[in-house]
Amino acid sequence: MRIQMPDGSIVELPIDDHRIQDILRELEINSEEVIVAKNGRIVVEEETAGGSDELKIVRIVHGG
Amino acid sequence: MGDDYALSDAEKERYSRQIRLFSEEGQERLKRMRVFIAGAGGLGSVISLYLAASGFGSIRIADCDSVELSNLNRQILHGSSDLGLSKAQSALETLSDINPEVEVEALKKRISLENIESLLQGCDMIMDAMDNFSARYLLNCAALQRKIPLFHGAISGFQGQATTIVPGRTACLRCIFPRAPPAQTSPALGSTCGVIGSIQVNEAIKFALGRGELLENRLLLWDGLSSTLEEISCERNRSCPDCCYF
Repeated sequence: MRIQMPDGSIVELPIDDHRIQDILRELEINSEEVIVAKNGRIVVEEETAGGSDELKIVRIVHGG
Repeated sequence: MGDDYALSDAEKERYSRQIRLFSEEGQERLKRMRVFIAGAGGLGSVISLYLAASGFGSIRIADCDSVELSNLNRQILHGSSDLGLSKAQSALETLSDINPEVEVEALKKRISLENIESLLQGCDMIMDAMDNFSARYLLNCAALQRKIPLFHGAISGFQGQATTIVPGRTACLRCIFPRAPPAQTSPALGSTCGVIGSIQVNEAIKFALGRGELLENRLLLWDGLSSTLEEISCERNRSCPDCCYF
């Protein structure tokens, strides 16, 4: 599975059907600071991903 | 359109370049709009200046802070002579000068659960120019209850995001951001505020005119370092605690 990290770098993880929250934990990313898009669509962290899915991890900005 | 919103000769001249774009009828639509702007900081500066200049008829802007020197790299609503003044007072003076045709109400208030109803009284749309998600969630719920659009924007450094929330039609803010990120003081750049605030105003104009394609169920991401705009799609979360009953 191809994962785009918040800094734009790409990580490949050879996994199947892992929950998003577990993937974030494995990548040592605080799930409170990001949202995750799976194949271009924002998903909740309870959803699973793997195989040929593409994840994009976006750091939430909150300033005004 | 009623006579109250008919354009004067001075308004026709002031808005002549826009009238070329969307006719006098379109300009009258902007004049009918009553907008609430939550915050008079970096985003609120850009949003309020362009809403006022473009002729939105009524603007209510709320901010509880005073102008500080560290604001002036980006908060172009305020100047050095406004240091120490409330941002509300500074906003009132600047916006009234930019466009005296617009009815401006500037309130030195912190947006809270207790006052949000009165702050939004009579408003047709909400511009999100806050710097924290707890206040944004208040705006989100208020928009859902009133069935008025919320134009979301946020920035940090070179990065920004924007989306348009239309109650009943789109994901709400809580669907997209289920939890508030940890509070922190973000680095802030005026040009990022300019990009994101301008996108929010552009959305508000399109909504008022009923033209174009809004940022519905799309989160737009601006990366100023690579000068790229990207979007990701979002959808309503049927178990969202904020919008599932609407």
